[in-house]
Amino acid sequence: MTGQGVAPDELPQVTDQLAPEPRANPLTRYAPPDDAADIFASSARVTRKAWQSYAAGLVNQSHGDLAALQPYLDSHVEDLGLAFRLTGDEQERSWPLNPMPIFIGAKEWDTIAEGLIQRADLLERLIADMYGPQQLVRDGHLPAAVVSGSGEFARRLVGAPPSSGHFLNVYAVDLARGPSGEWRVLADRVRFPVGIGYVLENRQVIGRATGGLLNSVGVRSQVGFFDAFREGIAANCRRADPRLALLTPGRFAQSYPEQAHLARHLGFSLVEGRDLTVREDKLFMRTIAGLKQIDGLWRWVSTRDLDPLSFDARSQIGVPNLIAAAANGLVLANWPGVGVVESRAMPAFLPRLARTLLGETLKLPNAATWWCGGETEREQVLANFDSLVISSAFRRPVTGLPDGRTRAGASLDPAERAELERGIAQRPIDYCAQEIVSLSTTPVLSEGRFEPRGFTLRAFLARDGNGDWEVLQGGFARVSQRGDLHTSLMGLGDISTDLCIVEPRPSAVPEAMLPPAKLEIRRDQGLLSSQAADNLFWLGRYGERAHQTVRIVRALCEQVATAGSALSANTTLIRLSNLLRSLGAVPKKSIGWEPSRLAGEALGGNEQPGSVRALAEREQRIAQLLRDRLTHDSWRAIQRSMLTYVPGDIDSMMIACDRLIERHAALSWLLADGMSRGSAWRFLDLGMRLERGAMLLQAVQALVPGSASAADLSALLDLIDGQMLYRSRYLTMPYIAPVFDMVLLDPVQPRGLAYQLVRIEDHLSAIPPLQADGMLEPPLRLARQIRVGLEGLDANVLDGATLDTLRSDLAELSELIGKRYFLHDDDALGKAPVRTLA
Amino acid sequence: MIYSVQHVSTVTYAAPVTQAQFNLRLAPWPWRGQELHRHTLKITPLPDVRKDQIGPYCVNTTHVGFTSAIDSLEVVSEFTVAIEPSPVPDDGPSAAQVRAEALEVNSLSALSPAPYLFASRIAGIDSDIGEWANGHLLSDAGIVASAASLMRAINGQFTYREGVTSSSTPPEQAFASREGVCQDFAHVMIMALRSHGIPAAYVSGYLRTLPPPGKPKLVGADAMHAWVNVWCGLDLGWIGFDPTNDCLARDDHILIGMGRDYADVSPIDGTFIGDAPQTMVSSVDVTQAS
Repeated sequence: MTGQGVAPDELPQVTDQLAPEPRANPLTRYAPPDDAADIFASSARVTRKAWQSYAAGLVNQSHGDLAALQPYLDSHVEDLGLAFRLTGDEQERSWPLNPMPIFIGAKEWDTIAEGLIQRADLLERLIADMYGPQQLVRDGHLPAAVVSGSGEFARRLVGAPPSSGHFLNVYAVDLARGPSGEWRVLADRVRFPVGIGYVLENRQVIGRATGGLLNSVGVRSQVGFFDAFREGIAANCRRADPRLALLTPGRFAQSYPEQAHLARHLGFSLVEGRDLTVREDKLFMRTIAGLKQIDGLWRWVSTRDLDPLSFDARSQIGVPNLIAAAANGLVLANWPGVGVVESRAMPAFLPRLARTLLGETLKLPNAATWWCGGETEREQVLANFDSLVISSAFRRPVTGLPDGRTRAGASLDPAERAELERGIAQRPIDYCAQEIVSLSTTPVLSEGRFEPRGFTLRAFLARDGNGDWEVLQGGFARVSQRGDLHTSLMGLGDISTDLCIVEPRPSAVPEAMLPPAKLEIRRDQGLLSSQAADNLFWLGRYGERAHQTVRIVRALCEQVATAGSALSANTTLIRLSNLLRSLGAVPKKSIGWEPSRLAGEALGGNEQPGSVRALAEREQRIAQLLRDRLTHDSWRAIQRSMLTYVPGDIDSMMIACDRLIERHAALSWLLADGMSRGSAWRFLDLGMRLERGAMLLQAVQALVPGSASAADLSALLDLIDGQMLYRSRYLTMPYIAPVFDMVLLDPVQPRGLAYQLVRIEDHLSAIPPLQADGMLEPPLRLARQIRVGLEGLDANVLDGATLDTLRSDLAELSELIGKRYFLHDDDALGKAPVRTLA
Repeated sequence: MIYSVQHVSTVTYAAPVTQAQFNLRLAPWPWRGQELHRHTLKITPLPDVRKDQIGPYCVNTTHVGFTSAIDSLEVVSEFTVAIEPSPVPDDGPSAAQVRAEALEVNSLSALSPAPYLFASRIAGIDSDIGEWANGHLLSDAGIVASAASLMRAINGQFTYREGVTSSSTPPEQAFASREGVCQDFAHVMIMALRSHGIPAAYVSGYLRTLPPPGKPKLVGADAMHAWVNVWCGLDLGWIGFDPTNDCLARDDHILIGMGRDYADVSPIDGTFIGDAPQTMVSSVDVTQAS
């Protein structure tokens, strides 16, 4: 551990984190109001030992100051980029994590797991019947209105079951532990197992932040689960080595960060609807190497939006004809329409359906539920109104529950109650009621002490390669500051907590020693979608443009520092400010402004599209689309906020410029060093090189419009870090021709134009070709032409017209790259959006 | 009564569009009292893919797709149909009785009441519209009389005006301004009935163009028309009410499809890639063959 700020003589001897004499075990002072209703206080001996050892380890690790743990843990959360959004959030929030996991003994967990698997089987059969023979409805076991009432019921799919035979591949369940330790199901989540990615990340954060603490306690590993899930989808695919993708609604989705994590962890391509196209009832992904068939799709897009030709014709995020591809063997996990079992009314029928479909009783009961569509049930609900919670059966806004939220009957005032009763009388089918479930508590670290807080648990199941259900050994608990845990993921003030399953005798084989699976060694880079290539290219361009703009601002500040700020006497200042104007970094009307004002505006201006702040924001937005492709370190470097400086103070702005240039250098290094040399890296670098070349030409034209002073040329040399080299080459003050040669024509000058073209040509010739006729692709042909043309130029006779041609050539090259790689060439109209006629 | 129907729809694009795909819902659904003699669907240019599908509601869907770029689409739907006037129904059970009976039908078929009880994409459950309908639907009168009284209220209180609404205007807006076209009237009536737990469905179809001698020309005859099917209990089943013309759909109405709202039966929708503005014109001609 570093950075704890402890004086050396205070350093404890951390040889054994579970030392027999820990500092006072904080859990001995923990006093929940009801021991039976607290998961720690009521735990059995072995599990209790795990709690205590872990708590003692935490104390040791924080040198007795538990309050210091939280910020330390938070920094790990931030490092991993763990984030989420609340509805309406502009920015992502970082994920609040409780350092104290919940421990459940293996035996208790295995019993729960049996109940979960039974429930998964039950839901699978129930869904198969609703989308098949509908015998349950016909025989009166399930009211027709409970099926048709759900907005998730996709009638179009009735009679067309998945060819894989599985409607469900992954399933999440919310559980509550009651006051006497009994477990109950609160909700079934079959559409999206929201939180499954956070489980993975929570464990990673806890692991990183607490060293070997979890291992020493003996906690079951979760690693195999995700492999099993992947194999479960792959096994259903028709091709032996299938291509799998995760379909996301896009970066504004609440759990987009989670989806990006999952895609990266599982090795799925992260795709949006516009990356995909259906041809002849097969699904393809648009990649830089043409259309590539996708065999399995983990969809995080709701059924309604999935296919505008099958469901909502207005959907802009779906894939036209996706359902036709699914009917033709495309694996969809989970199958569209399965959400019909998520309605609040459904649990009312599950005990009976378990008997009908499985001949068994539910091993894990759900909270007792009554659907008001039944006359007896309705009367019962009205008679016991005060001891129940009333909810909208299908989650829609209804009379008396205008936001579709659940309300406790006892909490309603007479007017609200009358309104609700009126609604129930008029449309009883829209209402159901549940018994009130009180929650067990768990110790949560709060300001250095453990406090009891109510919690719910989310468990996850996935089918493995044989189609059998596997339960994740752990899960994700939410503790609430307010006792309201009805939101699907995290509400304001909720804290997430890792769930650990304690093995009484830790398995003899440590994980790392497991025999390696027989995997075929491969070196391909995976698919690069045209969309991702496009984003990487622009990430490179914006990053470089921001960087170059900073360099120009720094040159401006240096001029002021060395020559004073009198504009009229100093052509260099005028030329630099013209350059900033032509880049859109400062307003058009800024002629005559003080240099310090210009510099401040170019760095932090809110209005100008070319200010460093605006460019950095665009860079960050694009980076969000590339979460699955950037390493954590580069991601963090990009997401750092803008530096501060004192507006008007040249010195502080110069320091800010230096820092920004350092930061850019660090980021370039991270990207250059951390990314494998595949197409993704090439597109990023391509964007960066192209932008650098274009900026350089613009700078040359602004600073040397025909004639130039030594100061103008020095400023130009500064932009390419070329002062030192120039002096060593020429031992004299700068002259136009030798400076031009260095800046534009010398192919070994890494910031010069010629070198950029060498790199561009190299990238373009390495990217997989589409054409099979052996001819050069248009972008490569043009890049080569430009590079060869540069080779033939003489710095002594370089004129404005030649520079103009070079600039327009680079612009054309950018266009050609866009046309060739970012759009698919059979979409003659380019990257035009999918439009709907409805 | 035998009718010949010709419905021509033309979509044109300012520039060619690629990957155009459409759902056409123009082939008449078999309905009680309606005997279809023949139906043809002529599509120009000739599509590369053409698939006929059934459902998911009482609707025939023809899916067509084009692999090369197109700049226009013409769809000509022609058929001849014999209509047997349905008998004038009795008043039927009360609204409360219908509400209870609807839950007794153990079926999810496209003709069963359950699919038409709940909010759909366009026709939601709206408490204002529900309250407005209280006077008609809280009565003990038979459902046929109650629904007719609701229909009459819409017909009397709403102004038929083309151009104030489009196919994407929410019916709540038509309700607030008390004006619109057949589609709006049908949606408002459906929402009022569903708010009271009465199954109600959206019907698309055609009207006879020329009125019988001495009768006025029906409104909406020169385009596709819309009206409401109300489920009137186990005995009566579905009965058509036309709020635009304040009449039952008995022998002047030719049913094409029935769904929860317009979106389920819209005659043509689809997707394409491109930025070109699109325009759609259609013309309907219904002639009486005998």
